[in-house]
Amino acid sequence: MLPLIFSVILDTSYSWVRMFIALSISLVIGLFTGIAAARSKALNKVLMPVVDILQTLPILAFFPFAIYIFVFYLPGSIGINSAVIFLIITSMLWNIIFGVYQAVISLPSEYTEMAKIYRLNFYQRLRKIFIPAALPRMSEQMSLSWAIGLFYLVTSEIFSIGTKNYAVKHGIGVEFVTAAATGNFYLYLYAIAVFVLFVIITRLLFFERFDRFANRYYLKDYKKRKKDRFTFNSIHGIGIKLSGKTKHKLYVFSRYFFYVVLAAVAGFIIYKMIFAINIPLLSRIVNYEGYSILSLAFSFLRIWGAFLAILAVSIPLSIYVIFLSKRIKRYLLLFQILASIPATILLPAVAELVYGNSELLSFIIYFLSGLWYVIFSIIATTKYLPQSINEVKEVFHLKGIVAWKKIYLKAIMPGVITGAVTGIAAEWNASIVAEYFSAGSGKIITSVSVGMGKALNVALASNNLLLMGVLLANMVAMIIIINYFMWRRLYNRVNSVYS
Amino acid sequence: MAFLEVEKISFAYPKSGVTVLNGISFSANELEFISIIGPSGCGKSTLLRIMAGLIRADGGKIILDGKRIKEPSNSISFVFQDFALLPWLSNLENVKIGLASKPITEEEREKTSLEMLSKLELNGFEDAYPNLLSGGMKQRVGLARALVSNPVLLLMDEPFSSLDELTANSLRKTVIEVLKDKKTLPKSIVMVSHNIEEAVEMSDKIIVLSNKPAVVKKIVSVDIKRPRDRGSRDFRRKVDELYSIFAE
Repeated sequence: MLPLIFSVILDTSYSWVRMFIALSISLVIGLFTGIAAARSKALNKVLMPVVDILQTLPILAFFPFAIYIFVFYLPGSIGINSAVIFLIITSMLWNIIFGVYQAVISLPSEYTEMAKIYRLNFYQRLRKIFIPAALPRMSEQMSLSWAIGLFYLVTSEIFSIGTKNYAVKHGIGVEFVTAAATGNFYLYLYAIAVFVLFVIITRLLFFERFDRFANRYYLKDYKKRKKDRFTFNSIHGIGIKLSGKTKHKLYVFSRYFFYVVLAAVAGFIIYKMIFAINIPLLSRIVNYEGYSILSLAFSFLRIWGAFLAILAVSIPLSIYVIFLSKRIKRYLLLFQILASIPATILLPAVAELVYGNSELLSFIIYFLSGLWYVIFSIIATTKYLPQSINEVKEVFHLKGIVAWKKIYLKAIMPGVITGAVTGIAAEWNASIVAEYFSAGSGKIITSVSVGMGKALNVALASNNLLLMGVLLANMVAMIIIINYFMWRRLYNRVNSVYS
Repeated sequence: MAFLEVEKISFAYPKSGVTVLNGISFSANELEFISIIGPSGCGKSTLLRIMAGLIRADGGKIILDGKRIKEPSNSISFVFQDFALLPWLSNLENVKIGLASKPITEEEREKTSLEMLSKLELNGFEDAYPNLLSGGMKQRVGLARALVSNPVLLLMDEPFSSLDELTANSLRKTVIEVLKDKKTLPKSIVMVSHNIEEAVEMSDKIIVLSNKPAVVKKIVSVDIKRPRDRGSRDFRRKVDELYSIFAE
């Protein structure tokens, strides 16, 4: 028993090292990118829409692709470890950039005016104004990133083992897969216990402290904080004031530069395609397209079915916690701990419970992967409602159905919409393990008949890069179209009334 | 016994234990307009929330028309400093909130609310949403919501202080006008304010609070004939009297 626990702790430490490397890199990139995007109009125009799209894409589905590239270029275990860390960064980075960006852009203009009057140089502005101003939001986003990162970490570790050729050697995911493959129930329990213990210790020793430190820089007169929460709208950008002819020239120049780069890239792709196009390849793509759309349709039904179930649970639950219970902080802590247990960890246990019913299994994994995003998004956007709205409820005796109809259900709408975007993206992320999962030695734990996750696994197993590309292109196109035509419109409609 | 009795109200912040209100007592007769003024942060708004039953006092009691107030009741209405309109409801829907707990039909609710909106000069804005309105118009909606239920006691928490002076002035005129209507007139009105002129213009009695912890420094009655002219000698004299009480 002791050596077993020791090996679990060792493996979890490996995973945590990956997490902290990824977090540090994300923080540095996020801090500077966020500040730069907030201070330069050109970067703002280019970067923020890209970040906005990236954060709603299920990047984990690109993992097979990432493995391929990293393992191809980097030797041995460095390759697969870099792939895992790279994946975690892609999950952590976007909301940190947004947090920093919004902290800097909503900084009252007095601060920049003050910097001009006292002629602070670039370095001084960074150190005395922008970085401190960004710290509270960065800290807030950091713990969110951590939770998302854990999901990516475990899922990518587990997934890598499923591919046998590219498996990581140490990591908490390894323990879970070993437990599942050998049917070792105790190992499984130890692994979950150690994992949760690590999560709690990290929260107490690192995130809570960092939060206290960062909140010293919290500007109390940030009345617009509530608004900043709605990151989804960021593509419309909040214009920033830039003055001076040089800056204008710089802006025009950088815009042209951007167009030139864009044209060059497009030209290169077209050039390549002209040479690449040949009839057999084209017919293969057409063949794959049919398979791809079929897979997409099946996964779509599973994921949206699970999403409806998520709504049915998360809406009443969050309303209860925000408006009716008196212990919102305690619930939040409980939710944070529960949410940090990646749904994919539970996969082997769920597989036992459903007796290998792959459809039910994938439904449960999808449900668990998306649930917390929706709940946290609702709580985050709603808890900044002014206290007086609660007082209105009391003064005018709004109770029961009236309170639900006039206040609760309406107040959570922005949170539901932003949560839906991230929650559904998380579900797509989970697809590569929810629909097909083998435990290393070829023992298949679950496999649906048709689905996107299944198809990606098949493509990787047969080293079929073309199929992988077609699959991913289809999925990305669908998500962008749904985001644009459904969620963004809903969001804009709600937002035009709410703020 | 007076219509509204505030008896020895005391209150300390639960977290810090700092006493904010220390034995506040005053009373009001039927149809009196009371203003509570005092330095900012002295606990005026807390006192008003205790009167509304939103906050429980540590000591003392509030008696309205012979009944003790412990929790929000149908007969008490409230106007918020930051308007507190529900942004996702139309202005009409917001006003109807004031009648949500009354046992009347939906048609009656709609009819009464429309009448109140028109009294506050909001015709044509019934179906608009609050965030499209200016501050002054938002507060008109807030006032309509508070008055639509014919409350016995109307509490106003610095109702004009989020507005610019010109807007505040015209809204004060409307409020005085609306309150002239005996049918909808609340039997008692208490307004918290930090503006001496405003208090003198509107009220029959002014309760002056001191700071940290708040005690009643003085109760000043204002018996200047209405409508009141801010430039008149009586008005200026009353304002000066209040300023000197503050300066003490």
